[in-house]
Amino acid sequence: MVQNNVGSLIKNVSSLQQDEINNTTGEPFEWWGPSPAEARKKAVEKKKGLHDKRTTLKDAVGKYVKDGINLGIAGFVNTRTPVAIVHEIIRQGAKDLTLSFQSNSICCELLAGAMILEPDHVSIKRVELAWWGYEVIGIAPLLRYLTTNEMIEIDDYTNYGMSARFKAASMGIPFIPTRDHGGSDMELVNRGAMVECPFTGENVYLVPACHPDVAIVHVPAADMYGNCRIFGAHCTCPEIALAATYSIVTTEQIIPTENIRNYPNLTEIPYPAVDALIEQPFGCYPGACYGYYWFDMPEFLDFKNICDEFRKTGNKDKLREYYDKYIFGCENFDDFLGTRPYSKLKELRQMDGVQPILID
Amino acid sequence: MAEYGPFEMIAYTGSRVLEDETIVFVGTGLPIIASMHAQMTHAPNLNMIFEAGSLGAVLEQGLPLSVGDTKAFRKAVFAKGLCGAFELTQRGYSDYAFIGGAQIDMYGNINSHFEGGTYSKPAVRFPGSGGAGAMAANCEKTIAIMALEKRRFVDKLDFVTSIGFGDGSPNYREKAGVMGSGPYRVITNQALFGFDEETRRMVLLEVIPGKTAEDIQELVSFELLISPDLKEMEEPTEEDLSLLREKCDPEGYFLKRKVVK
Repeated sequence: MVQNNVGSLIKNVSSLQQDEINNTTGEPFEWWGPSPAEARKKAVEKKKGLHDKRTTLKDAVGKYVKDGINLGIAGFVNTRTPVAIVHEIIRQGAKDLTLSFQSNSICCELLAGAMILEPDHVSIKRVELAWWGYEVIGIAPLLRYLTTNEMIEIDDYTNYGMSARFKAASMGIPFIPTRDHGGSDMELVNRGAMVECPFTGENVYLVPACHPDVAIVHVPAADMYGNCRIFGAHCTCPEIALAATYSIVTTEQIIPTENIRNYPNLTEIPYPAVDALIEQPFGCYPGACYGYYWFDMPEFLDFKNICDEFRKTGNKDKLREYYDKYIFGCENFDDFLGTRPYSKLKELRQMDGVQPILID
Repeated sequence: MAEYGPFEMIAYTGSRVLEDETIVFVGTGLPIIASMHAQMTHAPNLNMIFEAGSLGAVLEQGLPLSVGDTKAFRKAVFAKGLCGAFELTQRGYSDYAFIGGAQIDMYGNINSHFEGGTYSKPAVRFPGSGGAGAMAANCEKTIAIMALEKRRFVDKLDFVTSIGFGDGSPNYREKAGVMGSGPYRVITNQALFGFDEETRRMVLLEVIPGKTAEDIQELVSFELLISPDLKEMEEPTEEDLSLLREKCDPEGYFLKRKVVK
């Protein structure tokens, strides 16, 4: 795409084979989701008044999540992982998905597991990401399985790179300059481009905007119009919601609009960027939600172990049992939460340490 | 001398490397423990950035198990998101990147993408860059924690995730468009490494008592430079160990492993 000879000296150190280098010079850039112009058009077409956005996950996913879309997953690693929405997507099915996120754990593993069990119901075509894993809990077994078996295409950026891509999209600009990726192999394989800065004359790395068709986000609090407050880490949630054509947001609690109007500075996602809002307590369980609950380490570990066993043995029985019992066998996320003892959820609330948040 | 484990030695050495009046951008695990220890000893005005977006958190609820952990935001002075953390870094407000990886080469380039096979069909795919690639690019100095093994200290990386000094060319980082000055220290439980200013190659600075430079060279695939001023690594005192074990990682998530004799 970018027609120039600007680059770092990475080829002197790289082990990549020539055919693995993303050599798209001369070809038009392919957006893995809406182009900036398409995303802008969709935003302009929306009704901009304050309307009650509350709905059910079943209706929201049915309306917005279609085959072939780019699904932007908000949160970060094990924090505010939009698990309730992912369960509903798996129940309803969506094929040929492009996933975009910076770092995530269980959301992409859950989608990957669904693809392994029911490839005609859920499938991931490609992923633009920075990181897919469980951090202290370990490497993600299904990522390993899918990559070793060449079942997905990956486009690698840094955490800042993906965040900046969503940020560019949220700003309505087609790319953003960053000071990373250059001099690493990501410069050779991903879809960014090194250019010479017209002002400093120095090399600078551009990453393309990333507009998901649908963003899935979990927030601590929102009013019924979708004005969202986020406490603790914002992760890249405001940027992803604004970047996406449509956003489905789950919230721990709905708060009065009066509270929002008292402290408008606390609104991190404004209502026009939210298309569907669902009050879903524990909506990112087993992930953590600052001010509400800490993450459930044993739950992550149990699911990871089930996936690891499949990766090592090829036996899908336990994986299927998990999905049949906790996703396909549940009508909604409350049904799933109902399979976990109250004492456990209560303990997670205590483990968060009552982090202070502002609701009123 | 107190008995200590390899991870305790790494955390203690990491703490020694960090100076006061600086900001350290920490990865999960030992970097956080090292920074907590430094704050409690010689660097009371050292502050941490967690990449999910906090600056200057007070870790009074215990060790965060993830850089996005809610505990990593407790009593922070600034709490935003990833853009906030990395943009402070690009702007010049992060002195140290504190990262790990699967492979490192003599110029301090690090791989955390895959091992074996090819990029499109890897034998073992790791999670990916995460924050590491951006931290190594734009924090001022990069500190890496590695396991001292031949298969990790390699001639050639399978994939360059986090930029070091590249091929050693004086203008490598400049041509890459990155801002930080690059690799500073590599910490292992048996040796501490730095980088030669002239050649930008890895230099052995310190070895653990009882080992020699030759012992360390045997665990490294490429040829090490040896500092003319080679020192013994300082060992943690009982007091350091009790800080590490009781205050920093009381559950032993990262420190409680087998003990070095």
